[in-house]
Amino acid sequence: MKYFKKGQIEKIIDRLAEKADVYVPMLRGQQSGFYSWKSYDENYDDLIFDLLNVYSPPKNIVLPQTEKMYSFDQQGQEIIIKPEEIPVEPNVIFGIRSCDVKAIEYLDEVFFTRTFVDEFYKARRDQVTIVANACYNPGTNCFCKSMGVNPLEPEAADVILREVENGYVWESKTEKGNILTKQIEDLLEEKEVELYEPNRFVRKVNYDGVAEKLKDLFDHPMWEKYSDPCQTCGICTYMCPTCYCFDVQVKNWGEEGYRFRCWDSCMYREYTQMAGGHNPREAATERFRNRFLHKLQFFNERYGTPLCTGCGRCVVACPAGVDIIRMIELIKGAEPSV
Amino acid sequence: MNYTDQIREIASRLLENGQVDMVMAWEKGAFDYQSLPYVARSLEDIDKMIFDDYCVHNLSTSLLRYRDSNEKIGIVVKGCDSRGLVRLLEDNQIKRERLYIIGVCCSGVMDPLQAMIANSGFSRIKDTSGLAAKCANCIQPNPVIYDELVGATQEARGPANRFEKVSEIENMSVEERRAFFEDVFSRCIRCYACRQACIACDCRTCIFEETRPQWVGRETSISDNMMYHMVRSMHMAGRCIDCGECERVCPVGIPLMLINRKLIKEVDHLYGPYEAGMVYIEGQKPPFSVYDEKDQDDFI
Ligand code: SF4
Ligand code: SF4
Ligand code: SF4
Ligand code: SF4
Ligand code: SF4
Repeated sequence: MKYFKKGQIEKIIDRLAEKADVYVPMLRGQQSGFYSWKSYDENYDDLIFDLLNVYSPPKNIVLPQTEKMYSFDQQGQEIIIKPEEIPVEPNVIFGIRSCDVKAIEYLDEVFFTRTFVDEFYKARRDQVTIVANACYNPGTNCFCKSMGVNPLEPEAADVILREVENGYVWESKTEKGNILTKQIEDLLEEKEVELYEPNRFVRKVNYDGVAEKLKDLFDHPMWEKYSDPCQTCGICTYMCPTCYCFDVQVKNWGEEGYRFRCWDSCMYREYTQMAGGHNPREAATERFRNRFLHKLQFFNERYGTPLCTGCGRCVVACPAGVDIIRMIELIKGAEPSV
Repeated sequence: MNYTDQIREIASRLLENGQVDMVMAWEKGAFDYQSLPYVARSLEDIDKMIFDDYCVHNLSTSLLRYRDSNEKIGIVVKGCDSRGLVRLLEDNQIKRERLYIIGVCCSGVMDPLQAMIANSGFSRIKDTSGLAAKCANCIQPNPVIYDELVGATQEARGPANRFEKVSEIENMSVEERRAFFEDVFSRCIRCYACRQACIACDCRTCIFEETRPQWVGRETSISDNMMYHMVRSMHMAGRCIDCGECERVCPVGIPLMLINRKLIKEVDHLYGPYEAGMVYIEGQKPPFSVYDEKDQDDFI
């Protein structure tokens, strides 16, 4: 087994950073997320390989919250359109958990498959090498296993780190992973170490049959009841590693300007606002229902899997305590109303 | 503080004799430290209803969902939340006769959100047994408007240093202040949770949702973020009731109460003495909802 001591981790990141922009999990003041190692300030930032996960999901690395698409300039009768150069520096997401790796796999489905390849997403995604950190100690609100994610074997990872006593095992899985291994070869030792027994999950849920069942529950009174506490704030979608909705908007000054896309959320009224003034999801209940239907039914119908990796963020972050695990249970227990 | 029995008793009575169609209170979530907003619509729902140390949410904001209906609503409010009711009544968002207000004299609550974050492996903070940030400087623990009161009257907690941090910022140089706010606002992910949680935000169509024209851009750039926060904070002037919900829900820890407190201070100083929602007098309006020739205008 290839192995390195915990004390070596910064050296390893430093080395990888010679050839790529390396994103690492940090607490940065009040924030918690994956930030570029280039921006690491030891007086202010705190590396958190010892914590379960970062609060803000890493999806912004492949799908930035705001992204310019092209700019335009109208000169007389002519319109000059300038495509935006997408920065293509290679990068490494270092220490990402299985749930968040799976989320990137789902984004890949959305942006690469079913006849359309999104060039902005592709440009960024192609540059990513994933160094995942296997989970032997799931958090209180983790339920990835229930959602078909293996916390120890993230599929799309190029390298898997396995925490062991005093160090990490480095396990390369792909060609991209092997390139990184070469780069840090002298920092790795060959050593037989004992892997931890994975701890049990505190929370579990059974998703079987939920997508099918939801087909009959669109008009069920449960949505009214369970959406009562929801403030339609959108935190659950912005903090979710899988939510990928975006809007395309424009900024212009006189004759020139640019188009950009930015994250959007089905929890917002504006999301379904139509030009004529009609809004098919005017009420909070309708928006609340859409979030669960998209995650648990519609996405499954299109891609054969729910749009939830069980990372638990929405459960933790919802200011009103709305809990997708509980929602799945309630859906399973609901009597279809005729 | 646990008033579950009292609240259940009152709620049962109200629902039973048809005085209200629903009662807004709390229920327990998956953990001891999780209480969440709950609406009881029938007697069967009463068993779930609770009131304990984790009932931090300001339920008055949820009334906005019912502003167009006719249901009669029983609602449980703490001191700070009750000031939200005053604001809604002043703004004609709901009729007084539709409400049955169950006021709780509050000895301070804890924040289930902080406890969730700490216990789920997302934070280094392990001890969340202290009072919620908003409770430390509470000036109004007792409801200012109610039909029925629960618990014994409480003393205000540490209102003296409510503006401590505000003064700190005021004493910064212009450059320091700009740097401070640029840093703070650059983190904002523009999820608008602070708006949604806010009782002062009772507009039917929020300016940030207007698309024709769009007043504030949707980029998460420093200029759009600044614009968002400038507009939001100005709209809080004379309206913020110091319930702390915006700051509590912000997923990236933006010190929104610092800004709100500055506005509380300024409004009190320029148009006061005034503090939003401290007393309900029928027909009374907050400073920015009325025009008075004597209003300050020397800045124009
Ligand atoms: S949800 Fe699974 S993969 Fe994600 S942090 Fe928890 S245990 Fe790890
Ligand atoms: S479920 Fe929670 S986080 Fe999501 S919009 Fe509703 S209140 Fe906000
Ligand atoms: S829906 Fe919730 S638990 Fe599922 S992936 Fe999104 S944030 Fe995580
Ligand atoms: S529709 Fe809603 S739940 Fe689905 S990806 Fe978009 S924001 Fe997330
Ligand atoms: S809640 Fe926080 S992150 Fe969200 S819009 Fe408000 S200040 Fe920004």
